[in-house]
Amino acid sequence: MKPSKDLSERALGWLLLAPVGILLALIVIYPVGQLIYSSFFTIRLTEPWLGTPFVGLENYAKAWEDERFWGALQNTILYIAITVPGSLAVGLGLAMLANLPFKRKWPVRLALLLPWALPLVFAGLIFRWFFDFKLGFVNDFITRFGFDPVPWLTNPTMAKIAICITIIWKSSSFMALVLLAGLQSIPKSLYEAAEVDGASKWVQFKEITLPMLVPAIFVALIFRTITAIQTFDIPYAMTGGGPGDSTETLAMYIHKNTLDFLDFGYGSALATIMFVVSIVATSGYLRYTQRSAGRD
Amino acid sequence: MKLKKLALAATLASFIVGTTAAWSQTTLRIFTGGQQRPDVMRKIADEYEKRTPGVKIAVEVGGATSEAQQQYLNTVLTSKDSALDVVLIDVIRPAQWAAAGWAEPLDAYLGADKAKVMSQYMKAYADANTVNGKVISLPYFADSQFLYYRKDLLAKYKRPVPKTWDELMETSQIIMAGEKNPNLRGFETAGAPIEGTVCTFLVPLWGEGGDMLKNGKLNLDTPEARQPFQLLGRLKQAGVMSPNVGEIVTDRIRINFQAGNLIFAQTWGYVWNRSQNDADSKVKGNVGVAVLPASKTGKSATCIGGWQLAVSAFSKNKAEAVKFVRYLSSPEVSKMQAIAASHLPVFPSVYKDKEVVAANPWFEFAGPIVETARSRPVTPRYQEVSDAIRSNMNAYLSGTKTTDVALGDMKKRLEPVFK
Repeated sequence: MKPSKDLSERALGWLLLAPVGILLALIVIYPVGQLIYSSFFTIRLTEPWLGTPFVGLENYAKAWEDERFWGALQNTILYIAITVPGSLAVGLGLAMLANLPFKRKWPVRLALLLPWALPLVFAGLIFRWFFDFKLGFVNDFITRFGFDPVPWLTNPTMAKIAICITIIWKSSSFMALVLLAGLQSIPKSLYEAAEVDGASKWVQFKEITLPMLVPAIFVALIFRTITAIQTFDIPYAMTGGGPGDSTETLAMYIHKNTLDFLDFGYGSALATIMFVVSIVATSGYLRYTQRSAGRD
Repeated sequence: MKLKKLALAATLASFIVGTTAAWSQTTLRIFTGGQQRPDVMRKIADEYEKRTPGVKIAVEVGGATSEAQQQYLNTVLTSKDSALDVVLIDVIRPAQWAAAGWAEPLDAYLGADKAKVMSQYMKAYADANTVNGKVISLPYFADSQFLYYRKDLLAKYKRPVPKTWDELMETSQIIMAGEKNPNLRGFETAGAPIEGTVCTFLVPLWGEGGDMLKNGKLNLDTPEARQPFQLLGRLKQAGVMSPNVGEIVTDRIRINFQAGNLIFAQTWGYVWNRSQNDADSKVKGNVGVAVLPASKTGKSATCIGGWQLAVSAFSKNKAEAVKFVRYLSSPEVSKMQAIAASHLPVFPSVYKDKEVVAANPWFEFAGPIVETARSRPVTPRYQEVSDAIRSNMNAYLSGTKTTDVALGDMKKRLEPVFK
């Protein structure tokens, strides 16, 4: 136990924290509070004569009965379930590859960085052309081998596959960057000792690389999961949610309700639900990491 | 002494005049879509700048589709941003703009001239721009959907321009079988989840004698409401329509038609000019434009389109903006657009103008078609209506919903709007 600091020092501490605190309050806490507050009102810009009456949980009740909301939630969960492990696996492979002792490191690093640096919506547009039925590279490729062209973006299953491929391509490089940093912090001596003991490459990977990489994997997973919950740009650019609403995500449906239908009350309720889902998902990870940190 | 005073006064006067001239320099910002020929808008704006000293026009170009533009405008206007002075809006939007209070009503500016000004336009456009008796916007150009066809291919196979959808299907199959070109399809219309797909649904519905609303109530429990699905389903199944119709957006139809990959297309007026003048057009001189086919029992119907000029309620230069809008919505500009972009005029008189007809021979019969073209449902909640129609039509065309499911889901989403 340290002796308690004198008051002036503590006051100084608060004073130094204040700017950050105010900034956070302004750009995080206030909008989130405003969002939750709006979700209890009817705010429809298309019908201003309705006013903005307090409706309690009506917007949430509407979501409960809204099939399209459940569909969008289901799609979002599907994208998380596929693209988070998918990009982890691909990203780990890329990181191992980039960690090999290349003579020139920068071309490898650059190749890793490029997809990450590309704006999401550009990635979506590029892959939309890739998967285009008539003009796309993918169909051109498979028809050269005598297969029939696939209606990638107008078939719900195919469209989901195409979107997942794009998301994994786009997000793997970020995973790889984080994991590469983790790989480089593993002491070489561990591998040398394993060599001496006659451990195979696979055993080295399983017993040294993976356990040492766990903290980096967790960091990567948290960031990736949060962005996966918010998936918007890529399906928006590739299919616009179609065919029908079969590839629509929660973020897209929120955007549709607010910026398209101008129904800010209902949109806020949906956004609040998404916020809660994000909090639950990340706190799950955080608790797990804290527990494993406590074990050390 | 007197002279000196005079010189001083003169200098002072010229200084004041000079600064007021600099002060009175106004820049008006007009927003237009990428598909509404911003290049032509720029030329018209240049002409206006020449005539109106002290006014500069900045043309801001938005997204390629009507809904992409409106989504952007929604963010600008809900935040009451004064950046835009004049906005080009789709014919379906005045009701929404009036309800949201985004458009400056023009009645006060038109004053005693209101009735006279509005009576010059084709009636459909005078109506479309008036909401609850208030003039919300003024028409920039008219539009409706037509049947584009390949004159050369019809002549080669000695087929007439189809009057019914059955004829269109039969002719398509004959030509496709004869040409043996795997890239050639018979017919195309918008099928992606975009605004144009609403017309893909409404045209066959109207053609069969049906309508979406009856006395303001939803009216889709009729046999006619099944017609759009049955017709387009048949065309797709027969291979007349491409299997990827679910990803076809408006301008893609023009691209495919211009590349020589379509015999027939259901699309808007602008395609004529592009198919005749674009360097990459393979169908120059071989394009015909006609009325859309009818069903066996019904009458041909078409969707009204066109773009309107609204003055933003948040503009800081409303008076100047209204003057500019009055210029853009004049017979003179209507004629400039007709020649430069095959934009259909909003004044009956311009259709008969010699130079206009020389550039667009089909305008002679287009006028009456535009006059009888029908409006998509008018409601401030139009975006929800549009979304219900286009997403279910898109699901049906992509083969993921049957007629019953698509129509049922469409009704379920439309009911709360028209309750």
